[in-house]
Amino acid sequence: MSDAWTERLSEYIDGILPEGECVALEAHLEACASCRATLDELRRVVARARALDDRPPATDLWPGIATGIGLAPGAHPIVSLARRRARRRLAFTVPELAAAAIALAILSGGAAWLVLRGSKAVPTATTATPAPMPMLVNASAPGTNARYAAAVADLERALEQGRGRLDTATVRVIEKNLSIIDRAIREAQSALAADPGNAYLNLHLAEQMRRKLELLRRANALAGARS
Amino acid sequence: MELTTSGVATLRRDRDQAAGDAEAADAALAASGDGRAFERLYRVHVARIHSLARRMIDSDAADDVTQDVFIRAWTKLGTFRGDAAFGTWLYRLAMNVILARRTTLGSERGRYDDSEGALETAARPGAAPELSMDLEEAMSRLPDGARQVFVLHDLEGYKHEEIAEMLGIVPGTSKSQLHHARMALRQHLE
Repeated sequence: MSDAWTERLSEYIDGILPEGECVALEAHLEACASCRATLDELRRVVARARALDDRPPATDLWPGIATGIGLAPGAHPIVSLARRRARRRLAFTVPELAAAAIALAILSGGAAWLVLRGSKAVPTATTATPAPMPMLVNASAPGTNARYAAAVADLERALEQGRGRLDTATVRVIEKNLSIIDRAIREAQSALAADPGNAYLNLHLAEQMRRKLELLRRANALAGARS
Repeated sequence: MELTTSGVATLRRDRDQAAGDAEAADAALAASGDGRAFERLYRVHVARIHSLARRMIDSDAADDVTQDVFIRAWTKLGTFRGDAAFGTWLYRLAMNVILARRTTLGSERGRYDDSEGALETAARPGAAPELSMDLEEAMSRLPDGARQVFVLHDLEGYKHEEIAEMLGIVPGTSKSQLHHARMALRQHLE
């Protein structure tokens, strides 16, 4: 059973019922057993709610989070559908923008040169056949470093031989950006020396190493196209 | 040696202080890219965030929302200044994510039926006593609006004016929803 006062019982419990109405409600409660019972039940609901404990999820969500933020080895961010929908806009980090600028500078220089040469055959992407990219699963592992160093040394030698075919502006851009990437690699290696197990740093280092290889390969491809 | 009440309180305060210091250190480490520190923060706070998501939205979406909160927290750690406890900062972030998700899910599901009839039927206990629900289960069967007001007021401690702003309703609606949610839930008292 309920009456006009029943609707005000929650406000009374929470102490937000105006004082005059409080007095009237208390007088009503003296005479109404039903409202007294309801008031008692509502107070128990509030007490039960305040006593509820927080419960962890049934399954550990950390692996998904670690993957989503790139901490898991070989992680590709896996995010919710809603989040993917919200990610329609593209976002780049500073290194990514720098790498894009490098690629653009090289490609623009190459395209301009090819247009100016005009009569020569246009090289296709298959002209340069890059060696397979070394796996950079653990960038700080000694074996990985050796394979990487060998690949870089090969490309640097090839570039040294072909640099005479590149114009000075292109060479300057390549050297400047190699210097930026080398500095990023040194900083990541230094940080990893202090925290060898840090997965994020390891991935960051691998990414910088991959960028260097990619830049060297592009530069060699460009020099090859001008031969 | 027997500890006095004030001695126990002092020990507890010291322990809380130490935990807060460790958490602040972990937050700083995580902001610099330390994944292990971030995992420690996750372990401490996941139950709180997941429970909030489960109660405010639903259990199906709670895992996804919780992951979303922690992924966003990782990307926003640089904005954590340490003025408040990390848990407070994370809770605010979680609430923002949940309120935004609530709007999306609400419009997708189109089940904002907060009529009195819906409240009565949603929280009605099962016919057989063995099927009676605990309070969490009963809450989950309330209509979205009533459940969210109940959670925000009775579990999270927000005032009606704050709830009204968060949910885009007027304070009177918040009061009314709370009362009706409580009335529906009282049927599940043992």
